[in-house]
Amino acid sequence: MSFDLQKILESKRTLRRQLAARPVAEKLRMLDALRERTLATRGGATQPDSSTLREEPAPYRVRKQQNLKDRS
Amino acid sequence: MDIKTVITTINRMQADGIIDRYAIGGAVGATFYLEPVATLDVDIFVAFPSGPGNLLVNPQPIFDYLKARGGRMESESIVIAGWPVQFLPPGTPLVVEALQEAVERDVDGTRARVFTAEHLAAIALQTGRAKDKARLLQFIEAGVLDAAHFQALLARHGLVDAWHKFERQFLRDEP
Repeated sequence: MSFDLQKILESKRTLRRQLAARPVAEKLRMLDALRERTLATRGGATQPDSSTLREEPAPYRVRKQQNLKDRS
Repeated sequence: MDIKTVITTINRMQADGIIDRYAIGGAVGATFYLEPVATLDVDIFVAFPSGPGNLLVNPQPIFDYLKARGGRMESESIVIAGWPVQFLPPGTPLVVEALQEAVERDVDGTRARVFTAEHLAAIALQTGRAKDKARLLQFIEAGVLDAAHFQALLARHGLVDAWHKFERQFLRDEP
């Protein structure tokens, strides 16, 4: 077994290209499976608890929240 | 858990007049052009029917419609076919344009409206979180962007400086 980083990276790129080229319906089924797996590793919680380090929400969501707040 | 059912449900909701127009964005939208990347929710951008005196966005009819069909509220999302779905009004001119110019794609006989690759990439640049930058790199590496269309989009929406910064950070060898 050899450790050729360039070969490994090229192999990863090839796999990603192959995945991207699959039919959309198949890729969406992969998303279903990926989400199930992610939830399983998180113990079934769809919302991480407050102690979990999280990325900030996208700005468009902030604007949406502001809109909803404006309504009330 | 079935994302195709989410799309079918939204198509039906559009046909029933609850929403005017929709388009899939975010990671699910990107999956139409790139390799799938794990995500926990579905971002659906919607145009709401406008009426006299109805200047503010009101998602309540969407929630009522979906709850009557088995949907369940979860925080800011409504769960359809096991997927939390976020309904988002277009909050910036870029997203307004993305919604107007969204394209129709076939998913095993079901039509789906999705943002163009160029709009998804520009929105990722505008949003600018780490995962958005990673997605933008995916778009570039996959070679799915129409360069002229993308550059025009950046210029139209004041994103040229952000693009140059991104280029310096990620697309050039020198720091």
